Amino acid sequence: MSVPATGSADLGAPLYIAWQVTNECNLACLHCIEESGPGKAFHDELDEAQVFSFLGQLMDHQVPYVSFSGGEPTLHPQFFEMVEYVCGRNAQLKIETNGHGLSVEKAQRLQRLGVKAVQVSLDGASRETFNRMRVRGDFDLAIAGIRNLHAAGVPVEINYSPTLFNVHEIGRAVDLAYELGAYSFYTGRTMYTGNAVKTWHRLAPAEAQYAAFFEVLHAKADEYRGRMRVYFHEMGLLEELRYRLEHPAALLIVLPNGLVKLINALPFVCGDLRHQPLEEIWGNFQRAWRDPRVAQFVEDLGADSRKTSTLHQWIYL
Amino acid sequence: MRSGRPAQPTPKTDTGETIMKLAKYAKFRQEKFGGVLFETRSEKVYALNPTAAALVREIGAGCDERSLVARMMDRFSDSGGFMEREVLAFAASLRAHGLLEE
Repeated sequence: MSVPATGSADLGAPLYIAWQVTNECNLACLHCIEESGPGKAFHDELDEAQVFSFLGQLMDHQVPYVSFSGGEPTLHPQFFEMVEYVCGRNAQLKIETNGHGLSVEKAQRLQRLGVKAVQVSLDGASRETFNRMRVRGDFDLAIAGIRNLHAAGVPVEINYSPTLFNVHEIGRAVDLAYELGAYSFYTGRTMYTGNAVKTWHRLAPAEAQYAAFFEVLHAKADEYRGRMRVYFHEMGLLEELRYRLEHPAALLIVLPNGLVKLINALPFVCGDLRHQPLEEIWGNFQRAWRDPRVAQFVEDLGADSRKTSTLHQWIYL
Repeated sequence: MRSGRPAQPTPKTDTGETIMKLAKYAKFRQEKFGGVLFETRSEKVYALNPTAAALVREIGAGCDERSLVARMMDRFSDSGGFMEREVLAFAASLRAHGLLEE
């Protein structure tokens, strides 16, 4: 997200809230940056009153764009009420899901509520690679969920995390996304954090594999131009963070317990929704990006890329 | 095969002018410096000065190009005589960026 002619510091409120509504998940993916899984909900996740108080603040500040992710957001006990609240107040909502629970009825309900898009993770063009990556997952269930969304008229996006064992399938995965009716396809480099720290030796593609991967993506972006958008971030994490230091996005990352992070790829926390109103956190967010500890962390990352393994050891600014 | 949606009739004014409105995925918010227009599909953000923000507010309320020009002339001085041209150019720019629906 870019802000030509002005920066996020000039804005009165965030433009985008990426909310990890729960850390609970039905899957336990090898690369999950949040280390989500069955029984992995935080013990202090926001309760119903806190959830709707926060949503009310977002709508009061006219935050135009919200995403629900997790964990698996559809497992949140108030999931559909939250969707209805956001969509019914003229904000746009994207849901990031593994798609496994998206029955015909749920897909139709999401369409009726008016979600802007549902992004489904599809890390492979085959049952073999998908099921290897998505522990407890089922390729066929994900495909069925995507088909249900498309049939219901919900705009579908596909997200793909490359690994040693699926990187070669990228071309077929893009083709599959189009066949399934997706309007966007997103991918980039898989991050060394969360579960990936423990499984990195089984996950990390070599640079030569990444080079071939991005070459295919360039070709696919051209092939599908005007029919499906193929987005990919070739830039490594370090380059992205250096850019963000100068140009923070107007985006807050909200954790299931209400803590607010500067950006997913940094360990810094700039607020706590349980105790602080949104405007105070937005002010903290602006100051936090200028905190020397943030720039130092990014600089240290240049010397040791494995520092991302500590992203869950939150540092309060 | 992808199915297309049936075309909706384009809303018109009594005089047959096409009514402009912000695209479904374009969200406007007033800011101290003017306003911001956020296209949520591409996640592109457009910062607007106070005049551009006023134009987008008028479009958000629903109007055709002719009445948009008239409303802006009511509100702002047109000492140079460029108002109509600039308003129409701005609307064309919004259209080119996919920020308008007609």
